[in-house]
Amino acid sequence: MAKIIVVTSGKGGVGKTTSAAAIATGLALRGQKTVVIDFDVGLRNLDLIMGCERRVVYDLVNVIQGEAGLNQALIRDKRVDNLHILPASQTRDKDALTLEGVETVLNALNKEFDYIVCDSPAGIERGAQLAMYFADEAIVVTNPEVSSVRDSDRILGLLASKTRRAERGEDPIKEHLLITRYNPNRVDSGDMLNLEDIQEILAIKLAGLIPESGAVLRASNQGVPVTHDEGSDAGQAYADTVARLMDEDVPLRFHEYQKKGLLSRMFGGGRR
Amino acid sequence: MSLKVDRDGMAFTFKGGMLPMTVMELASADPEHIREQLAGKLSQSPAFFQHTPVVLSVEQLDEPHLALERICAVCRAHKLLPVAVRGGTDPVKQSSWALGLGWFPPQEAARPRTLESVPTTDAEPAPEATVADEPTPAASAVGRIYRGTVRSGQQVTAPEGDLVVVGAVNAGAEVLAGGSVHVYGALRGRALAGIHGDPEAAIFCRELRAELLSVAGNYKRLEDIDPRLLGTGVQVRLDAGQLGIATLD
Repeated sequence: MAKIIVVTSGKGGVGKTTSAAAIATGLALRGQKTVVIDFDVGLRNLDLIMGCERRVVYDLVNVIQGEAGLNQALIRDKRVDNLHILPASQTRDKDALTLEGVETVLNALNKEFDYIVCDSPAGIERGAQLAMYFADEAIVVTNPEVSSVRDSDRILGLLASKTRRAERGEDPIKEHLLITRYNPNRVDSGDMLNLEDIQEILAIKLAGLIPESGAVLRASNQGVPVTHDEGSDAGQAYADTVARLMDEDVPLRFHEYQKKGLLSRMFGGGRR
Repeated sequence: MSLKVDRDGMAFTFKGGMLPMTVMELASADPEHIREQLAGKLSQSPAFFQHTPVVLSVEQLDEPHLALERICAVCRAHKLLPVAVRGGTDPVKQSSWALGLGWFPPQEAARPRTLESVPTTDAEPAPEATVADEPTPAASAVGRIYRGTVRSGQQVTAPEGDLVVVGAVNAGAEVLAGGSVHVYGALRGRALAGIHGDPEAAIFCRELRAELLSVAGNYKRLEDIDPRLLGTGVQVRLDAGQLGIATLD
């Protein structure tokens, strides 16, 4: 039985796809058989972030509409053996997805994989609701900014009401907060919301905190998920997040403003 | 679930809604008396009489039978559209239904309060037990307890009685109650108490950050709230028709 994790946020541009790619990569690096699905039909991005855009032949919509088999559409990652990507269609729109079709695809993947990571589109409409509907766990990606926090709050409300678990009255979806683009320096100067304020409003467990980092942009443009950049702060923070998702107790890093000394770098690096 | 039904071409969906509604509180059951007063009002403010839907409240009348059909005809002749009747005895309820009107239980019965024998005056609706022959079980007035965070976009309602929220009400969320609203956490969204017009209703919260506070239709926006009160525990209630906010400590 695979664990289905949706990466969602409501607001666009907060780092859903980057996080989905980094977390799926992190899970696979730890030996978990993982597939990451792009639900952003019409605005396909995950293939770029994963660096497999030149190998896309069939996509999720083709599979749902019976034009291709699942194994034809799944792309095996070049860097990690256990990782597969199921890209979205760039030429269709979100109406091409059906609830029954998504269910069929997830059921088929369920048997083969340990983790199914669903990269949700922005918004709260059909695409986003389909991405979250079958989830067991949710990673709510939030920037330290009031509009992002409010949209995350809205998404949390939908997770508690518009999903299969909610409709069947099963155990609720396990919700994880992932704060991205956190800059302790700007939090200190009052430009950004601080960690405590965000947690107080959203009232869910923190799974990770990703510092604002040049490594993320570099990784996106190179098509290499930032988790592979083990020397970078963002790469380490995603690795920590993956460990917490697997129920390990990892202390929080990168949330305090401090001049990084050689020692802390060594200590931080030595943990992995 | 909306995802399943998107394409099925449904004829309708049911939705809860709160619409502003004019209540016509009848102090007389005599259609002629009503006609005279309506004629006077019509000449004063013709703009109001544009097929305006009204609810006829007969709570103050102590008559088991009403000439409801004639009263409705008088209203329609003055471009008022009776859509429902509130209060009255069982025969009144039956004849409302027969006329195709909705019927609402009397407001006073919905919320039990002390039965003072206040003399009926024109200025003030008297909370007198005119419908005492139709007792309502007190248990129907119990409110609702909600545990957890009320999130942006969510609406939690207790149509009758009080609403207790054990948690925060976040920005963009809305909590409503026929009675009072109690929030044991930060109130960052909108809170509306006394949504059926109960002026005795109040709002209580541990940390005031509300976007909007309203008691029986009297409201204050965040901008109107004294900044010194923000972040404190307060009670909000009507005092001589004015919405007053006072700290609890």
